[in-house]
Amino acid sequence: MTRKIPQIICALFGMTLFLLYFSQHPTARNLNLTILNDYFQIIFAFTLLVGVVSFVKVNLKAFERGEDRSYHLVSVIGVFIMPLLAIIWGIKGDSPFMWVFENIQVPMQATVFALLAFFVASASFRGFRARSVQATILLAAALIMLLSRSTIGDMIADQIPQIADWIRNYPSMAARRAILIGIGLGSLTTSLRVMVGIERTWLGGDK
Amino acid sequence: MDAGTVIAGILTLAILTFLYRDNPVYKLAESLLIGVSIGYFLVINWSNTIMDLMFVPLFTQGKLMLIIPLILGLLMFGRFNRKTTVLSRIPIAVLIGSGAGVAIPAMLDARTLQQMSATVTPILAPDGLPNISELVVMAGVITTLIYFYFSREHRGWWGKSATMGTYFLMIFFGTTFAYTVMSRMSTFIGRMEFLLSDFLKLTQ
Amino acid sequence: MKKLESRHYVFLGLFVVILLTMLLNVRLEIRVSPETQKMYNYIDSLPEGSVLMVSFDHEASAVPEIKPLALSILRHAFKKGHKLIGVSLLAEGTGIGYRLMQETAGEYNKVYGRDLVYLGFKPQYIAAILSMGESIPETFPEDYLGRPYTQFPLLDSVKNYDNVAGVISIADGSLTTHWIEYAHARYHVPVTAAVAAVMMTTYDPYISSGQLHAMVGGLRGAAEYEKLLKIGGSGRRGMLAQTSAHLYVIAMIIAGNIVYFLRRNKRVKS
Repeated sequence: MTRKIPQIICALFGMTLFLLYFSQHPTARNLNLTILNDYFQIIFAFTLLVGVVSFVKVNLKAFERGEDRSYHLVSVIGVFIMPLLAIIWGIKGDSPFMWVFENIQVPMQATVFALLAFFVASASFRGFRARSVQATILLAAALIMLLSRSTIGDMIADQIPQIADWIRNYPSMAARRAILIGIGLGSLTTSLRVMVGIERTWLGGDK
Repeated sequence: MDAGTVIAGILTLAILTFLYRDNPVYKLAESLLIGVSIGYFLVINWSNTIMDLMFVPLFTQGKLMLIIPLILGLLMFGRFNRKTTVLSRIPIAVLIGSGAGVAIPAMLDARTLQQMSATVTPILAPDGLPNISELVVMAGVITTLIYFYFSREHRGWWGKSATMGTYFLMIFFGTTFAYTVMSRMSTFIGRMEFLLSDFLKLTQ
Repeated sequence: MKKLESRHYVFLGLFVVILLTMLLNVRLEIRVSPETQKMYNYIDSLPEGSVLMVSFDHEASAVPEIKPLALSILRHAFKKGHKLIGVSLLAEGTGIGYRLMQETAGEYNKVYGRDLVYLGFKPQYIAAILSMGESIPETFPEDYLGRPYTQFPLLDSVKNYDNVAGVISIADGSLTTHWIEYAHARYHVPVTAAVAAVMMTTYDPYISSGQLHAMVGGLRGAAEYEKLLKIGGSGRRGMLAQTSAHLYVIAMIIAGNIVYFLRRNKRVKS
């Protein structure tokens, strides 16, 4: 019963939204809006709250165990400080909430991603080798693209950006399109399997 | 220089220390980043969704039907207890079912059929002659799909087609690598611009 | 202090190259690519007063790359007299989008509520995109700061995508895909994108099929757009450093291969 009822609900919501896609009737569109807004959106927002609670629990437990206390404490303080600032001063452009976001979160997060520039450069030196035909093709495509998307490519010859554009718009795009079609067919069959109850891994292992 | 720029500059440098190796300064900055990000996300999610779509309509406009998604949302918290964890299957069922229901037409139409149509339609140029570049696309799509078809052994002409598919894939990976380099360098250049111009005032 | 490894020298080299080129502060002349020109033409050709939806579908990590792009697009739209509705499908994009729209609106003396409105964030992006196709006021009953939808004159006639000339997705990931596959496929609203360079090859099939109308990407795209708008900005300022960084990576690839072939030849001989 604990597995059957969720499966029935899943099939019901899936079939309803699938059928509503094809209808332009005002009642159908209203129902579509209700399910998307009042159910899908709100429940999803709650799942995110569950994630936040879980994060705090894990960090507090680690703090209790005495593992890297200062790091866990800083994380938990970070979680609580933001709602506190929002409750007291709101979230307007000049609020402390936005100040923390713009002067702490944005610069740090952007810098974490900027670190990848160095690892990409290191990978270029250590891993990008012409060991086989395939690796050589990959290397050649990368070199032409890198050259064309820097201003040097424009300066050397007009043909370089043209060749690079052709490679991107035709052979490269063809492979990406095949991947896209593959993902599309895979998602389609998985969605159908979920709706008819063949795919049940989302229910978890317990009875 | 304002306090925000000083703090942002110091924290930027703290993160960059990771380039030498993992260290306590980086770890502390990273922990702060994780905490603040989650706190920020919590506030935005609460004020823009849970308040907007649920509490305000439910309590100020009397939309009593919203009690159902509220209960379903609260059932998600059942996951924190082994005995009540099965209750969370109901809201998950709504999410999974809804996701599957909206995905089928999108995957079939926008991702599969329209892409297939775009592969076949432009093969003949307006003058009636075959368009070589579009023939390359068609060959690329078919051979790459053959490469990903594992229900038949890659031998003979089928295997050769699959190998051809890998060449197209390599061109795609090479192109994507170059664009990844471009993206990551842009991000670092952006941070350097902040450090040199706003924080250290070395450039304008 | 532990001994430095080879990767540290590669890191140091890149750092020095970018630092020196940024201190030089030289502005390079660049060629405008056809894809950037197409995006520019699209915004330029819309009738004055067209309502555009700008969706900030990116995270804080992409700000250095996305900000110059977003600023160029917003400036162009405001300069042409278009009206903008801002939304965000990623929480971090919410605060950034709000700030960018505020900043650019101030430059062109645009009035909040009449020329622009910022609606804020909804977490389940597919549900948000689809439900806006049915009703934007039901999806966003209030703006980002909690003021009712009905309060703003700009939104009087905006009920769903039928009243919007197009959607511009400013993204660092795959969210533009959902605009294409749900908003465009289901409600036929034209979708365009300003994306991080890393995502450009992902969207090429949609450009080719016409499902994505136009796309501009990366710092290079921002520099090209700034050139078209005849303004200065981070994009054009960063082009020398970008070019040098690309050449540095090319040099690293070549150096790595020379080392590889020398070692291989040595192994074969021995």
